[in-house]
Amino acid sequence: MNALTFKGYIREDGSVGIRNHVVVIPVDDLSNTAALGVAQLLRGVTAIPHPYGRLQFGRDLQLLFHVLGGTGANPNVAAAVVIGIDDSWANKVADIIARTGKPVEAFSIEGYGDLRAIERAARKAKDFVQYASELQRTEVDASTLVASIKCGESDTTSGLASNPALGYAVDRLIDYGATVLFGETSELTGAEDIVAERIPDPALREKFWRIYREYVSVIEREGADMLGSQPTEGNIKGGISTIEEKALGNIQKLGTKPITCVLDYLDPLPKERRGRLCFINTSSAAAEFITLAAAKGSVLHFFTTGQGNVVGHPIVPVIKITANPKTAASMREHIDVDVSDLLRFKISVSEAGEQILQYAAKVLNGRLTAAEVLRHEEFSPTKLYISA
Amino acid sequence: MSLKVAVHDRADNVGVAIDDIKAGEEVAYVYVSDKAVGGKLKALEEIPLGHKIALRDIKAGEAVVKYGRPIGVAAKDVRAGEHVHVHNLRSAKWSFGGR
Repeated sequence: MNALTFKGYIREDGSVGIRNHVVVIPVDDLSNTAALGVAQLLRGVTAIPHPYGRLQFGRDLQLLFHVLGGTGANPNVAAAVVIGIDDSWANKVADIIARTGKPVEAFSIEGYGDLRAIERAARKAKDFVQYASELQRTEVDASTLVASIKCGESDTTSGLASNPALGYAVDRLIDYGATVLFGETSELTGAEDIVAERIPDPALREKFWRIYREYVSVIEREGADMLGSQPTEGNIKGGISTIEEKALGNIQKLGTKPITCVLDYLDPLPKERRGRLCFINTSSAAAEFITLAAAKGSVLHFFTTGQGNVVGHPIVPVIKITANPKTAASMREHIDVDVSDLLRFKISVSEAGEQILQYAAKVLNGRLTAAEVLRHEEFSPTKLYISA
Repeated sequence: MSLKVAVHDRADNVGVAIDDIKAGEEVAYVYVSDKAVGGKLKALEEIPLGHKIALRDIKAGEAVVKYGRPIGVAAKDVRAGEHVHVHNLRSAKWSFGGR
């Protein structure tokens, strides 16, 4: 087996990024305006606005800090500015980012107003951009890579072609030593036993069952008609009829490796992670999944689509793969890898998987994905329950 | 006759249209694992790309099988060659409401 190497940014804590962003992270909805103000003033700064952060409590608040802090700590970020309405929670998020050793600074709006807060934050962000512009890519091997996988607006071509091709690529990445994260807890329904059987460790398998049952119990408690939500209207248009059918198509992208870590919302990635396939408890909504996977350290996302989901992320490149020839033609600007030849048996699963890997190698080394160029920067922290 | 239907598993009673199929069209189906032609059938109605076609008669209440696994239950009798979708197939897991 050949090694896979690429040129990445080695961060202070040894983690490796494939992008070099300077970000402005608002802690709460009230701070979005100031964060966007900083990003508008300066070249090379990405603001990451979101609607949450006020009056959250307990596990839901811990998850918000985990997501905001984890996003700043992600190796694709060179340096981060955090802005909050008050300095206490802003410092909490900045402290999580500071543990990586990268430059970070927190600012509050109370006591200054937006305009002075923007000025103070922008002066620091300007220094960070110039600092980041001097960082160089260094050759590293694939054991430093953390990637994630999820499909969206799936149709039956996903289960037939694009997901098996991605599954081949996932097996290869894990052979190279990479860590691959998957989730979509509710979307395993109908195939949950197959996933559980792939977890060799009995304690982890039990943890998976607990997480799965807890998630699905919330859905069943509502007793709602799930058609249109899960499967989505797009799934149904593409020919998927039931959650079981969607799940069995979904798991085609998991490859064949054992699942050796099972992470609940707040669990960090294990430090020792050479060649791992990890389950993470997540929503099956595209932006929520990628947001949480990025917060746990994923620097590259593989996204298979049937009907044409357009999702991206502010700091993580999203590679779009489709096997639906109609989508490949009608939404061409969104598709990075077209494997529709696999649907018509013109190429094999391994050939399609190699196409994905070859494209990924380019993206690892700096090629921008369609979603990056099209400014798809969805950032959607998962909210567990109502705010106080 | 064109090859327009892919079947995941030999135990399946539905296949997937890998191209648009017209009503009345005779199509062959092929198994995904080894690309062997499994048989042929006549589409009784239009089947859009990605949608499912019944490979044999399926009785109401019988499991609809794809990937060698149940993906739900037939909500009415389905004849070989008919379109199988949310109008005649229900989830066995989540069917609290339904169309």
